Amino acid sequence: MNEKTRNTLIIRFVITLLVILAINFFLPRMMPGDPFSTTSSDVQGEDIVTMTEEQRQYFISYYGMDLPLHEQFFRYLANMAHGDFGQSIYYKIPVTSVILIHLPWTILIIFCATALSTAVGIILGLISARNRKKRSDRVMMTGLIAFSEIPSFLLGIILLLIFCVWLKLLPLAGAVTPFAHYAGVVDQALDIAHHAFLPVLTLALAQLTGVYLLTRNTLITVSSKDYIRTAYAKGLGERIVWTRHALRNALLPVVTRTGFMIGLMMGGAVLVETVFSYPGIGLTLRSAVVNRDYALIQGILLVTAVSILLCNLLVDQVYRKLDPRVSD
Amino acid sequence: MTLLEVSDLKCQYRLDSHTVQAVDGVSFYLQPGEILGIVGESGSGKTTIALSILRMLGHSASVSGRVSFEGRDLSSLTVPEMNQLRWKEIAIVFQNSLEALNPVMTIGEQVTEPMLRHLPITPSEAKARCVDLFVMVGLDPSWMNVYPHQLSGGMRQRAMLAMALSCDPRLIVLDEVTSALDAFTRKEIRELLYSLQKTRGYSMVLISHDITFVSSLASRLIVLYSGTIVESGPTPEILNDPRHPYTRGLIHATPDIFLYKDLWGIPGDSPAGEKQTGCPFNLRCTQPVDACRETAPFLRPCGNGREIACHRGGIATLLKAEGLRFRYPLPDKKTLQAVDDVDLEIHEGEVLAVVGQTGSGKSTLAHILAGVLVPETGNVLFMNGSVHGGTQGHRFRGIQIVFQDPFSSTSNRFTVCDAVKEPLDINKIGDGEERLRMVKEALDLVRLPSTDQFLGKYCGELSGGQRQRVALARAMIMKPRLLIADEITSALDVSTAANVLRLLKGLQNRRGFAMIYISHDLSLTLKIADRIAVMDAGRIVETGNAHDVMLSPKTGYTRRLVGARIGLCCHDHDHAQEMRADDRKLKP
Ligand SMILES: Nc1ncnc2c1ncn2[C@@H]1O[C@H](COP(=O)(O)OP(=O)(O)OP(=O)(O)O)[C@@H](O)[C@H]1O
Ligand code: SF4
Ligand SMILES: [Mg+2]
Repeated sequence: MNEKTRNTLIIRFVITLLVILAINFFLPRMMPGDPFSTTSSDVQGEDIVTMTEEQRQYFISYYGMDLPLHEQFFRYLANMAHGDFGQSIYYKIPVTSVILIHLPWTILIIFCATALSTAVGIILGLISARNRKKRSDRVMMTGLIAFSEIPSFLLGIILLLIFCVWLKLLPLAGAVTPFAHYAGVVDQALDIAHHAFLPVLTLALAQLTGVYLLTRNTLITVSSKDYIRTAYAKGLGERIVWTRHALRNALLPVVTRTGFMIGLMMGGAVLVETVFSYPGIGLTLRSAVVNRDYALIQGILLVTAVSILLCNLLVDQVYRKLDPRVSD
Repeated sequence: MTLLEVSDLKCQYRLDSHTVQAVDGVSFYLQPGEILGIVGESGSGKTTIALSILRMLGHSASVSGRVSFEGRDLSSLTVPEMNQLRWKEIAIVFQNSLEALNPVMTIGEQVTEPMLRHLPITPSEAKARCVDLFVMVGLDPSWMNVYPHQLSGGMRQRAMLAMALSCDPRLIVLDEVTSALDAFTRKEIRELLYSLQKTRGYSMVLISHDITFVSSLASRLIVLYSGTIVESGPTPEILNDPRHPYTRGLIHATPDIFLYKDLWGIPGDSPAGEKQTGCPFNLRCTQPVDACRETAPFLRPCGNGREIACHRGGIATLLKAEGLRFRYPLPDKKTLQAVDDVDLEIHEGEVLAVVGQTGSGKSTLAHILAGVLVPETGNVLFMNGSVHGGTQGHRFRGIQIVFQDPFSSTSNRFTVCDAVKEPLDINKIGDGEERLRMVKEALDLVRLPSTDQFLGKYCGELSGGQRQRVALARAMIMKPRLLIADEITSALDVSTAANVLRLLKGLQNRRGFAMIYISHDLSLTLKIADRIAVMDAGRIVETGNAHDVMLSPKTGYTRRLVGARIGLCCHDHDHAQEMRADDRKLKP
């Protein structure tokens, strides 16, 4: 990459970041209500704290919310620049801490789900493409397309009912068993896997058909190319032709898609984490919205947006590595 | 032992709606060290043949027939056995070289890949051999580490060749290796293939629609049309004397062979892949007979190692004249030998130009050939019948003649309609309405208006060009098989002459009639003639392919005639000689 393209890349990144920051700031403030007049609660049985009008005014000026909007915005930008995301109004601790507690869980399930759906999708796509025009291909394609029509929260609930309520194989909620004493690292890891299993599965299944279809269709397109014919003519044999020659070319769009997928999954995580009460960033965001916890909402959205941005950047670089035609 | 033998190969693609018969009963063989050329237009089944040799047609194709390589029947091999043989014994270079190389693998990787598969060598040995191969095909070894898109078309083609040579195969199949390249690179690749074959004795099957390229390398040619072989034989024989109407059309449509002639493709389209009865070429043929529509001709030997598939045994002779002599009496009891011992042959669908100075006897010859003038000795046979008494002009599909002077062939007092209709009137063909319809058709054919107003015009009112067209329409109305055009453009100005000539050649090409074009203007005849006969003092002193006569005239008279062309560029003739020299270099 030369200096010029690097510069344009950086400029693009900065502009995108600014737009995200602006949206991030104004969007929560356009919602009706404010953090100090919450009347409903998300959690059953929680005491609803009702404040007097004086208390409310005090908090409003304490958090600087009585200032004009633009001033708030500049303050916000300045704070961001220092890496100061502010105090969570609801949790009464710094936003950064809240995020740091919950983000790893979300990263865990998204990472696993992406790996799972990509790997399985590619394998299924490969099998399907190799059996093109045969029954197995048709059955697989119809089945997966029909399957993908099920909304992921519904799928999550179904899985929850089967595995947790009916079979009682897996835990109903949480990311770890509360107050557990682990015999060792392995034991702890198993417990985490146990809890993450269903959220990961739900997220992965939602993406599977997309990866599968893309792999299958790209492979079919690629397999009619002359270089595949050349590979066959070299006597390499079916397996090497498909993996070394066809798949390597077909993976290019799949990689791009994976980049977008991570963004989509952030949205999906909110739903899935809610269904499985999985303490990730999605669940936290949900409660932050319910409580009008502006600082937290902003923090989470920003972290999310930036990570999507970074993912895309990463995918771009991987793509450059994979496809020699775009690298110069 | 023959290296490769293909017998009765048939390939069919099964599509959802129909099946395509891409190859229909093709047989050929290849000796070790030989280069065999397969030519044919797009869709004639060339690639399908190449693929079926290696058993590489997909599931949607059904193949029958036998392909044997070094005596082994390839269809009896198992898939792993076949994979052993691919590239190790038979390598193939496909057309369109950008797509033929994997875009995400380096050139070096792709060239070493088959070596690692087939040869007992280590990766570093393969790499060393790759360097040697690159040098051999004239590529700098530093290109090994780049990707296909970073190479030019010619370099990619060289890389493909290096890849094909990597396992030292017994046979290389080259499918359209040069069609995407510019003329210069094409020539370089040709030189490379030539030297590879000479120094290392590779056997090759060279497949292309480019007959110049193929014939400059191959010792034998196979001409493919719509999945069948229509002609095969040694290259020089086929080039100089094509027997099948399709081969002739192909050669005549090749600018490198006919340097001067305007290009006229073979009219019509190939019925590629459609199942048909009869000769596949019959809709485009210049000489079909009834049998051509009913049964398909078989490939039959016709001497000199040549084979041809045609019910009429190839391009048929339409008119044959032998020993013609004619004298005009002069006032003082002397005579003028106007035509002196002339033998002449004209084939179906061919344009023969008779050139010579004024007074060399061309028009007299024309009149004799048309049967209007009776020769003292000799005879003229048209489709094996005599032309005596000009009766061939009285019927459809006979001989028609158009004269030098448009004012003599169409009387001033005739209307356009009468002039064109006259042959029908004289020969009592059709009723009034039918005659009028045919007149209009004929006028359309020569691009004249067929309005009532124009039909009612007197010939005297027309311009020279228009009158010559009316004369042409008058000839065309009889749908001649042979048209004799005697100096029809000499009375016209340059631009009108060019238009009439193009019209005439276009008609000839489309309708497929044969033509004797008589002219004193060599430059003009070169634009349309397939063959030229040079006439001097009543004798035919030289005949041959138009470009041969032009480029290497054998007699002094022809040389003078060629030299007498007033070229704007004074180097014109030298230039032609140069081109000829190049041409020779191209042929081994
Ligand atoms: N995979 C295929 N499926 C169906 N029909 C095909 C297929 N490949 C070729 N054909 C048909 O078979 C016929 C012969 O095709 P082929 O590619 O062998 O011709 P070709 O002589 O190599 O032409 P070109 O000069 O354009 O490469 C054509 O009518 C073509 O449409
Ligand atoms: S004469 Fe008949 S058989 Fe011969 S090429 Fe013409 S159509 Fe085919
Ligand atoms: Mg082809």
